[in-house]
Amino acid sequence: MLVFRIPRGLCNGVKYYLHCAIFAIIMNISHLYTLIKKEFDLEFRQSHALFGVLLFAACTVFIIFKAFNTLGAFQWNVMLWIIVVFSGINAVAKSFVQENKETYLHYYTLFDPLELILAKLIYNFLFIVVIIALVILLLTIFTMNPIVNWSLFTQGALLGALGLACIFTFIAALSGIDRGGTTIMSVMALPLVLPVILLLIKITAVSMGLMVDTEIGGDLMILGGIDLMICGLMLLLFPIIWRS
Amino acid sequence: MRSLWWKILGVIIFLYVIIVGMSTPMKPGFTGDVVPFLHKAGTKATFSVTGYNTHFTQPDTKAWLKLDSSSLVEIHDINAKSDVEAIFSVQLPTHLPTQDSTLDATLLVSNSKDGTAILPGALFITQETIDPNVTSFNNISKIDFPRYEGFAFPFRSTLHETVRNTFFHVAIWFAMYTVLIVGLIYSIRYLMRPKMRYDIIASSFTEVGVLLGFLGIMTGSVWARFTWGAFWTPDVKLNTAASFILIYSAYLVLRASMPDQDRRAKVSAAYNIFAFATMVPLIIIIPRLTDSLHPGNGGNPALGGEDLDNTLRMVFYPAIIAITLLSVWISSLVSRLRLLKDDYMSRR
Amino acid sequence: MKNKQFLLSIFLVILSINLLSAESGSIDFLRSTGKIYSVVAVIAVIFLGISWYLFRLDNKITKLEKEIYNEEKR
Repeated sequence: MLVFRIPRGLCNGVKYYLHCAIFAIIMNISHLYTLIKKEFDLEFRQSHALFGVLLFAACTVFIIFKAFNTLGAFQWNVMLWIIVVFSGINAVAKSFVQENKETYLHYYTLFDPLELILAKLIYNFLFIVVIIALVILLLTIFTMNPIVNWSLFTQGALLGALGLACIFTFIAALSGIDRGGTTIMSVMALPLVLPVILLLIKITAVSMGLMVDTEIGGDLMILGGIDLMICGLMLLLFPIIWRS
Repeated sequence: MRSLWWKILGVIIFLYVIIVGMSTPMKPGFTGDVVPFLHKAGTKATFSVTGYNTHFTQPDTKAWLKLDSSSLVEIHDINAKSDVEAIFSVQLPTHLPTQDSTLDATLLVSNSKDGTAILPGALFITQETIDPNVTSFNNISKIDFPRYEGFAFPFRSTLHETVRNTFFHVAIWFAMYTVLIVGLIYSIRYLMRPKMRYDIIASSFTEVGVLLGFLGIMTGSVWARFTWGAFWTPDVKLNTAASFILIYSAYLVLRASMPDQDRRAKVSAAYNIFAFATMVPLIIIIPRLTDSLHPGNGGNPALGGEDLDNTLRMVFYPAIIAITLLSVWISSLVSRLRLLKDDYMSRR
Repeated sequence: MKNKQFLLSIFLVILSINLLSAESGSIDFLRSTGKIYSVVAVIAVIFLGISWYLFRLDNKITKLEKEIYNEEKR
């Protein structure tokens, strides 16, 4: 009988990653909770940064409203996502700038890198959702609200926010924002969000009745797939690049 | 990398592609439209056609109008002005074998020299009354159509001679994938074991991949201008290709903007893996799901079936190999230069 | 040296754009005889692109050579 043997090195590698993922998510959930709580504490202690980002979004909405005067549903859709992308980059960059190098070294001795990046990711995801909600609210007040299919819009927006948060968080960690890599971050992040944004604009356009597409579920699946892939890649690569 | 044989092989195959790909004739076909295009059922239709590589003056030339999958109307009155121009007259039947009021008829012209040339959608025939009892004529199987003898590329409407662009445009995309995958592998190797050598190889291969991507987009847009009518069409595949080019251009900008070598190597390796991962759904999954002008999308077969017949394959597959070998050669030259430079800098 | 090659490549790009520009005359020319000239245009684009890249590579090699020779003189 033939017996296939998996190389031991590969086996151990896979085991290591499974171990990391499962333990970080399930066993050390209290660590994760502490870290997320720390993010929120930090943010609210320095609330000027938080409000700065929200103010940025609000100002852009107002400028767009004044420039267009009447905004069609199509422009509404595109504007929403452009504002969200740019405020999102700002927000994520800010969340990394707030801590200095020594604090990071301190965290490194205390926590697993996976927990750190997961905490950042969850925090940034929530922040981007808040930005989306705020921009929708302001756009609705100033102009109108073209969304017809709210459930589709919510699904698309949540998946999109997750994708944006993943890409921004990873790129921010990668470009070493704490060492003044803000320009590098926008150079890397903007092209990478293109696939997510293109899909997102299509999904939300369908939810506003601008386009008719009976197979929009497939697009949602692709968006979810891209999110999963980016998320997994981030969790895989972050421990490697973080050791510097 | 330093051995010579595969470079010579690449050059020879490329030469073969250029010579065979450019000198093989096209099968006979039709260019331009049929004049006039609109006809009524039951009348006598007289129209002129323009052929390409055809020999209408051949004495055994025959022509038919194909009304549906099994109905033929033979055209007896053939007035050939020259080898490529002819005027046909035919008495159309009073009732068409369809339950619609309109029908697209296909023109078939055959002789012993040309084989059978086909023009789909040659005539647009309208009928005023619809006969509910009309059936197909079922006479297509009685006719033996001659086949083209010899080695020639298939003639497709709107494509004409530009079908030869397949050897260059499509092969460039294949070469780009290969080169980028090599770059990806070296990026992964760098992250596993940080050696400067891996970073240099990865960056040179990725750079040549971006060059090939730009060339692919430019050749594609030149081709599109003469077949689809515009340099840029809002086609899915074009847009995904453009966004992926932007992603990889960011890789180059990234490398140029970081002075510190080790950090640059680490960041660009991680970015390369990320970029490749986002490219896969962009180029492979999304275009398969939406309608596109490109073959192979919306469920059509891409590299099989009608679009690529055996004569094209005999040049297309060597073209992929040749251009891949040549681009690997260029990237290995770049990486060798950079390795030398790195070695020299470190020794100084 | 570098400047000259840059100007040359710019000139080649402008030339190719002119060849392919959307004037009806040149388009009709490229469409004649079964659009065979668009295949020529595609090959020309590939050739120009690769030559441009080779020019750049040449520049880099020249730079490295100069550096090495200067080092040896010293």
